[in-house]
Amino acid sequence: MLNLEKTNKSLKKTLIAFIIFLIVVGIWKPLALVYGIQRGGLYSLIGLPLALILGIVGILNLAHGDFLTLGLYIGYIFFNSWSIDPLISMAPLFFILFGLGMVIYSILIKRVLKAEHLNQLLLTFGISMIIIELIKIIWTTRPRSVYTSYASSVTLGNMSIGMYEFIYPAMAIAVLVILQLFLKKTRLGQAASAVGQNPKGAEIVGINTNVVYLVVFSIAFGIIGVAASVMLPRTPVFPLSGNPYTLKSFALVAMAGLGNLNGILIGGITLGVAEAIVQSIPGYEGWSDVVFFGILIAVILLNAYRRPES
Amino acid sequence: MKKTIFPIITILAIVLLIFLPYFIGAYLLHVLMTIFIYMTLALSWDMMLRTGQLSFGVAGFFGVGAYASIITCSRFGFNPLVSILFAGFFVALIALGLGFAVLKLRDIYFSVTTLAITMVFSVIIRNMPRLTGGASGKVIPNVIFNGDSTKTYWLILSLALITILISEVFNRTKIHFAINSIRNDEIIARSSGINIFGYLLFVFLISSVLQGMAGAIYTQQYRFVSPETTFSLDFLLLPMAMALVGGIYSTWGSVIGALVLGFASEYLKLFMPYGHLIIYGIMIVLIILFLPKGIYGTTKDKIITHKIEKKSLSE
Repeated sequence: MLNLEKTNKSLKKTLIAFIIFLIVVGIWKPLALVYGIQRGGLYSLIGLPLALILGIVGILNLAHGDFLTLGLYIGYIFFNSWSIDPLISMAPLFFILFGLGMVIYSILIKRVLKAEHLNQLLLTFGISMIIIELIKIIWTTRPRSVYTSYASSVTLGNMSIGMYEFIYPAMAIAVLVILQLFLKKTRLGQAASAVGQNPKGAEIVGINTNVVYLVVFSIAFGIIGVAASVMLPRTPVFPLSGNPYTLKSFALVAMAGLGNLNGILIGGITLGVAEAIVQSIPGYEGWSDVVFFGILIAVILLNAYRRPES
Repeated sequence: MKKTIFPIITILAIVLLIFLPYFIGAYLLHVLMTIFIYMTLALSWDMMLRTGQLSFGVAGFFGVGAYASIITCSRFGFNPLVSILFAGFFVALIALGLGFAVLKLRDIYFSVTTLAITMVFSVIIRNMPRLTGGASGKVIPNVIFNGDSTKTYWLILSLALITILISEVFNRTKIHFAINSIRNDEIIARSSGINIFGYLLFVFLISSVLQGMAGAIYTQQYRFVSPETTFSLDFLLLPMAMALVGGIYSTWGSVIGALVLGFASEYLKLFMPYGHLIIYGIMIVLIILFLPKGIYGTTKDKIITHKIEKKSLSE
């Protein structure tokens, strides 16, 4: 309980710093703030499932972004074959990826839970490659897109802002709230948090860790499905469209710290805004990717050096 | 007896490999060159893995070496061979600098940081169009040795042989014990007086230089670089799959894996122009699940147990 108070205090500090950062950017570059919040919302929405799997199951899923791509393609099929709107196909997509998560967990992940980290990383790397190549075989590398009437830009004065993109932060917050409710209020969720904190201890008090892992893994995959359907109207679909999000999501988790789901949202929006600022400087648009990787490397190194060597 | 046979076989194999271009066709020679490049990458990746550090930075050093070679060639008029050596030197400098930062990291943090560094390299190169040609890449007018594939083959073969030699030196001298103990338990390694950071930096440096030179030779062969193709994750995934299939922590594992997967994917290309690389992904997954020691490791274990059984029976 003492610990909780301390984290509450540090959370308040981060929140205040975060809000000041947003206000400063809002005055300096309002457009960058808007873009940044939209994009940061998307990053957080995609980062949440990775954080969930890494925090509770303890596996870094390097195929994360590729399952997102797979979700995009399934959403595209729904739209193209049965003309179902991406926002409506969100529900079936959630369940399809939920099921896929169950299958992947039971067939593959379950076998390497106790193995070395090296093997786990390599396994998910292999899965990532299989998905990319499978998509190339089935759908070729031709980019596809989904057009919906509502996902177009609105012109305000002399700048155009996409109104649809505000759905990203909204969905991120909604998913975060639901996840927190699940983890705090339901029995299964509480068990999941316990497993995340101490798997051996959880097993000793009689929690079936295997079931918890299965459910958490599948829920995380379901969220990937939701993210895919939300981003579908504004994202070109090609075999590598989700791939960069794997590292970006991990950057968020490394920034927020394991098990800190709220931090994902704060970190995501901070990084999104930082990226938008770099992009708004003429001549330096291409450097925006460095923001993410640079921050990822910096945070990991800082953490490593802050820890006393032992 | 075994001690005298082994060097003879090795020398025979090397002589055979050197004179191979006179017996086989251009296509097979080309396939072999590609396989040797990947073999170099696989072995150098495995060298780092033997210290317990899973590096995802192979493609990064490969690409930096490639660009260093091409740029010195086209801008400063270096001789291609000199530019390849320069690429090795340049990569060594970068690896030295990075090594001091990243080699304190362990586990997934080391892996992910090396992956991120690869991305940073490619972003930096994409955004320096005056020097590197930006996103569209850069072409140099001449292929190395004016397209003489026999000489190119010898160049690539010598890099592969040097890599094998270094790997064997690592495996047969006291470095082997140091590296093994770092991988198994760092606390014990440190209490035995092993300079962990020193060894890690040494291996990291050597493996990065080999990767950089492989990249330099590869692009001199095709005279073309671009951020997409040169930093392609294929240069990370394929070597990893090769080392895994053959068997990690050993020289011959990577060699066997490179040959098996190299020829298999070349064969598959005929049937599946799109996505024949899926074989690598499937191999990685299957090997991790069912054969964690790879082909070489598993057969070696089988032979050893067989020998022990024989011995105990005769006694």
